[in-house]
Amino acid sequence: MITGLQARSLGWMAVLAICLALVVVLSFKVHAVKSEVLLAEREILSLKRETLLLETEFETRASQRQLAAWNAVEFGYEAPRADQFLDGERQLASLGQRLGPDAPAPIMLARAEAGNGADSGPMRSPLSGAPVTLASASSEKDAGEVFTEAFGDFLIEASPIRAAQAKTVSPKGISAKGVGE
Amino acid sequence: MTAMAAAAAVPSLPAGRVQRTNLRAQMLWTARFRVLWVALGFVLVTLIAMVRIASLAFAGQAPERTSLEEALLPPRGEITDRNGVPLARAFPAYALWFDPKAMGDEGSPLVRSPAEVARELKAIFPDIDEARMARRLASGRAGYLRRRILPEEANKVFALGEVALEIPRETDRHYPQGTLAAHVLGYVVEDEGGKLGMEQVLDQQLSDPAKRGEPVALSLDVRVQGALEDELRRGMLATNAIGAAGIVLDVDTGEVMAMASLPEFDPNVAGASGARNVFNRVTNGVYELGSTFKPISVAAAMDAGVVRDLSKPWNAAPVAVGRRTIKDLKPKGASLNVPQALVYSSNTVTARVADALGPERLRRAMIDLGMDSRPFIELPARGKPIWPGGRWSRVTNMTVSYGHGLAVTPLHLASAYAAMVNGGIWRPSTLMKLDPADVPRGRRVFKESTSSRMRQMLRMISLYGTGRSADAPGYRVGGKTGSAEKASGGGYAKTSLISSFAAAFPLDAPRYVVVVVIDEPKGTVASSFQRTAAYTAAPVVGRLVPRIGPMLGVQPDENRDVDISDLRYLVDKH
Repeated sequence: MITGLQARSLGWMAVLAICLALVVVLSFKVHAVKSEVLLAEREILSLKRETLLLETEFETRASQRQLAAWNAVEFGYEAPRADQFLDGERQLASLGQRLGPDAPAPIMLARAEAGNGADSGPMRSPLSGAPVTLASASSEKDAGEVFTEAFGDFLIEASPIRAAQAKTVSPKGISAKGVGE
Repeated sequence: MTAMAAAAAVPSLPAGRVQRTNLRAQMLWTARFRVLWVALGFVLVTLIAMVRIASLAFAGQAPERTSLEEALLPPRGEITDRNGVPLARAFPAYALWFDPKAMGDEGSPLVRSPAEVARELKAIFPDIDEARMARRLASGRAGYLRRRILPEEANKVFALGEVALEIPRETDRHYPQGTLAAHVLGYVVEDEGGKLGMEQVLDQQLSDPAKRGEPVALSLDVRVQGALEDELRRGMLATNAIGAAGIVLDVDTGEVMAMASLPEFDPNVAGASGARNVFNRVTNGVYELGSTFKPISVAAAMDAGVVRDLSKPWNAAPVAVGRRTIKDLKPKGASLNVPQALVYSSNTVTARVADALGPERLRRAMIDLGMDSRPFIELPARGKPIWPGGRWSRVTNMTVSYGHGLAVTPLHLASAYAAMVNGGIWRPSTLMKLDPADVPRGRRVFKESTSSRMRQMLRMISLYGTGRSADAPGYRVGGKTGSAEKASGGGYAKTSLISSFAAAFPLDAPRYVVVVVIDEPKGTVASSFQRTAAYTAAPVVGRLVPRIGPMLGVQPDENRDVDISDLRYLVDKH
């Protein structure tokens, strides 16, 4: 027979044992989390190093001197001229002034938006109504090149639109317009 | 009651039984003690084991671990431009190290033969000498095989599977912009620290663990620096010159937005082998800068009240002083007023104005502009001006007035022009980005009214005079050309010139000073077979200003200009 005293001390022992076990389990858990943190820190470090590496590589490849060299060979961008800047709303409004009596008519450019539902099938001839297939619509060539080939550079120069803007039509955009997808 | 108690106290047991009982109790005790000892032993062992495990768990790894913050701290601080673009940074790099003891046994350090490994390495690094590499591997000496290898090369070496070829990670100083601003940045020599430029100046700060986490921002703007170097290089090559220097200075704060000296060097390479072309022409080279000094002399004379009436004609005939005669390169008439003298760059009138001013007052003005001491800048390489000592004679006074007999750095000239156009305040120049609150107060050298007149006259030079090719449309550029013969062996070399152009823009509200110096330009097709500054240095400024203006927040405007209506009739007779 177990007396009350013995039962109580046994109970205490059991509680102690459970507590000890819990402490051990908890410390294991703590260590597991700690090592996870350590791993995460290591990963942060390696990622930061990689970012640094990639960023530096990018900076090196896109250095000012390299950009200037590319610009000289490929792009030919020039510093903006004074007349490309507008001082404010007043100057903007002055651009829309009425033409003088002897002024030449402004060159108007036709432009169609390739918006939703704006397209109504393939392009049709305004005279016969038959569908027209554009030579450039199916070609892989840059639209700017096609234009230059057909009309020469002088038209781009003569156009009131800046050369830089006139040339920035991407081949993607023109094919979307031309094919009418 | 008492009888019963007595019976209980004395048990009626035979003596032999009592003995046996005692023996049993004794043995029981012994057994219990033994169990206790064994248990104690177990507890002790367990305790020792627990303590060991705990000590391993808590203390074992501790010395190896560093905090994340510490690990992220760069070994040397980063240098950036004023907008945070990195100019110099610590960069993880790989080296190739040969460790013959890596295999850990007494046998050959390599798995394959040294010749075979050398051939494999030759395939990765085509520039190595295969036979020498084989001898090196066979010698069994530990050491670097290559100081820097690329990550993909490191992967290939790793794939060779040779344990003795180690790829230790090292930190390197990398300059992503290459040669850009090399003279400002300097370079780093391993184990010695920064050399030459800001790397040397900021060496302590860049290597201090408490401070190196924060990047140091310089006053430079990478885009402006790139444009300046690009245009300078173009100007230098077009005129077949031996060198060129340029500086863009903020007139109100003294911050250097760009500083370039050509030919340049590559700081990425310089660290290992030293460098040529480390001479900084902007801060270290002293030159007689010629006619660019004329506006300064005129400003000093106006400030002193010697030149009050700008329409007053001055005698422009050659001046005979001592044994020398001061003449004009292209005489423009018997008499010229002061604006004409500047526009046509007249030596004679400037000399006469300086003569009227007197040597003491011109000397004072030059000292106030800091021309007698090394330039104010952080860089260690600062040239000492060639300054006429003692009391200035009449000849000295007159020659200094048009920029001869006094040799200063282009930076001196830029600071003086900044003081001349910003309202008359001279400020030390700096390469550190300044907070608006930290801008030095500077010292007043010219009156506000003098500065305002000078802005008009500088603008007139680029409208009517020698600076026309620098007049970028809409940017209100004004500046003065200077072409001086290079001093050599006591006299002047007729064939080698220093052409310079000192300008400020926009002159209606000056923001920046640009000084361009071309060293020994030759007459080429590009410069119309001329060597003077109007054909060599001024066009560089004319191309540079439209490139850097919008980046620096200066908007070109053709409807805006300095009001020169009260002076125009003095020069432009039409």
